[in-house]
Amino acid sequence: MEVSPMSEENTTTLFGREFGEFSSRTTAVVAAIVALAATFAAGIAFPDSIAGTLTDILTSEGTLSSALRLSVPIALAALGGIFAEKSGVINIGLEGLLIISAFTAIYVTDITGGVWIGFVGGVVASVLLALLFAIVVIEFRADQIIAGLAVWLIALGLAPFASQVIYGRPNSPSVDTPGTIAIPVLSDIPFFGALFDASPTVYLMFAAVALSWYVLNRTTFGRWVRASGENPKALDTAGVDVSRIRYAAVLLSGVLAGMGGAALSLDLGQFTGNGPTMVNGKGFIAIVAYLFGNYNPVGAFFSTLLFAGLDAMQTVLQLQGIGLPRQLIRIIPFVMVIVVLAFVGRTRIPAAAGEHYDTGDDNR
Amino acid sequence: MSVGDRARDALARLVDASAAERILISIASLVLAIAVGTVLILVAGRMTTCAPSSAVYYFNVGFCYDPVLVFDRLFLGALGDPLRGGWSPDGQFAITMRETTLLIFTGLSVAMAFRAGIFNIGTQGQMVVGGLAAALGTLWASPFLSGVTGTLVLVPFGILVGAVFGGLYGAIPGLLKAYAEANEVITTIMLNFIATGVTLYLVSDVFKDPNSPANQTVPLPDYAQFPALLFGARQDFSLYALFFGVVTLFALYYVLEHTSFGYDVRTSGIQPEAAEYGGVDAAKTIVSSFALSGALGGVAGALYVTMVIGKFQSGVPAYGFDGITVSILAGNNPLGVGFAALLFGVLKSGTTAVQFATDVPPQLVGVLRGLIILFVAMPEFFRLIGRRLVKPTDQSKTIATDGGESNE
Repeated sequence: MEVSPMSEENTTTLFGREFGEFSSRTTAVVAAIVALAATFAAGIAFPDSIAGTLTDILTSEGTLSSALRLSVPIALAALGGIFAEKSGVINIGLEGLLIISAFTAIYVTDITGGVWIGFVGGVVASVLLALLFAIVVIEFRADQIIAGLAVWLIALGLAPFASQVIYGRPNSPSVDTPGTIAIPVLSDIPFFGALFDASPTVYLMFAAVALSWYVLNRTTFGRWVRASGENPKALDTAGVDVSRIRYAAVLLSGVLAGMGGAALSLDLGQFTGNGPTMVNGKGFIAIVAYLFGNYNPVGAFFSTLLFAGLDAMQTVLQLQGIGLPRQLIRIIPFVMVIVVLAFVGRTRIPAAAGEHYDTGDDNR
Repeated sequence: MSVGDRARDALARLVDASAAERILISIASLVLAIAVGTVLILVAGRMTTCAPSSAVYYFNVGFCYDPVLVFDRLFLGALGDPLRGGWSPDGQFAITMRETTLLIFTGLSVAMAFRAGIFNIGTQGQMVVGGLAAALGTLWASPFLSGVTGTLVLVPFGILVGAVFGGLYGAIPGLLKAYAEANEVITTIMLNFIATGVTLYLVSDVFKDPNSPANQTVPLPDYAQFPALLFGARQDFSLYALFFGVVTLFALYYVLEHTSFGYDVRTSGIQPEAAEYGGVDAAKTIVSSFALSGALGGVAGALYVTMVIGKFQSGVPAYGFDGITVSILAGNNPLGVGFAALLFGVLKSGTTAVQFATDVPPQLVGVLRGLIILFVAMPEFFRLIGRRLVKPTDQSKTIATDGGESNE
């Protein structure tokens, strides 16, 4: 994808500093669309070229459906991250929440036999870990970044540890999956039919994106969350307990990330705990996704879809054995994240994010 | 507020504690992590199954795993059983020293960046890049030399190459942060994945050893590897490397505390606005701190190649991530890194001893690592306990103003 550094600088100088961020993001999106259109044009004109193959992959229903499937854990974790960070708590431990819920969901499904009981089990595990994080950060004023890192490391050790204790190896046995739900008629539409023939977790993701947007922008609770991150003192003055809002937001991030982790492992029916586990950086990509989406749930969803689409494409490219070696194709999403950050680097994060809020009435 | 500000906040909070208090907090964190680990071992021991004869009984309840044995192996086993007699200079103790040496460098790498207010999670990637560069550089130069001269030239050359490439790779997130304001926590994590992917490709294709099924380079000739001194030959440990590590500890301490570059780094770490007002070039300081941090990570990679495995192989162990733990535990003080590296050297080497003597999954040590970080990050918790235990007296707050070195 061609994103010219020139155009970015031009817009910055043309529209001034404050429009710079916005226009560089717009430039990136426009450039992506232009590159995509160019690929399609070349692909239709020369069906046998690499562009032709790329066009085939991009327009295949399989790519869309696997992109959606790959989006689920990232998008849900990103929604969780939005709530936490909007309230002023940077939750860098999303990766850990995904890991712990991915394992617990499989374990509970394995012992109870119920996929949805397992799903709830995964969410509960994630919420408990998020609660620990919240207590450490809000009650004991731990540094949010370091505590988040600790949450990741604890889960990274705990899930394979538990798997080893229970199953004797870091990978769990296979369990039932939620399967897929196909909506009649709609699922027969070419390409977009993939939207209507998917795992229930995909529908859950759509619902969560819409609901998160609504809660954050249209409800009192959402307003409190935003105020708690931007101007906690004002919120405090208005008589709302800042700590309580932050607790709620962090626990909500636990619920959402837990849904993501449980969906990740249950859709595959197995937990793999080798090396960086099956989560493998999805929690960190979620953070990039919501930064790129500028804390807007819908924006975060579309940037997730962009990363997941790249990921889905690289899988197909690998299978087709195109020119580039496997190991290099695999790093494309990570390179993309860096390129995106280099152009959209400046994201305005909530003013009070990362800071502990002191009510001032307990002079210890 | 940028991530830099947050990292600075973290720094300020760690600095807030006086040196003595910080050591106390570190020890208390370790003890608390062991206590939680004990509970975890007991609970896990109830969840797994074993023969009644191999179980251990506490309060008439049988457990499959014995925490006492686990921690005995973890600590005493790592030291080569000094209390049992028959201590060998070439046993587990040498492995502990080897791990400590590598952790000194990755710990210093993270500490260096942290002192500049930068959170470098990319030490792992910088180590991987430095390691591959050191292996390829040494392989390229080795036909020109041999014997003792070969060792005298090639080993320092390998370290230099590792430092240069690690430094260059570290400069990337530095440039991105300084000029594009890209969040370094995220860029360094991404660069770790990229380093692993690219080096895997290189050693599985371009630079692959044709005589080996593994993804690795051709082995370095013996004279291009770190020579053993006094002990540790069998365990791939060289006392020279440890000396080098200790010298680097003091060198970095000196650079940070007694040079103008160190002053710039520390002031931008604590008060970036003040630093810039005082004439410090913020962008330049960020890039050079990141490059120096990456160079230290690169040296760790070079040591891993020339001292430990004698070639570059895909799947470098996570010394870089352990470096974060080491640095946080040390309060980002270069001299403290020495002690913290020794502790984590023991934990890493002890993991093998635990695996050898018990059925407890080795991932336990990963959990302990996370718990230690979690506890170290919350000094407030220990102060609260401290206040409960000791009746509060005069609360005179000590704030260090010289960038982390409190004179208490």
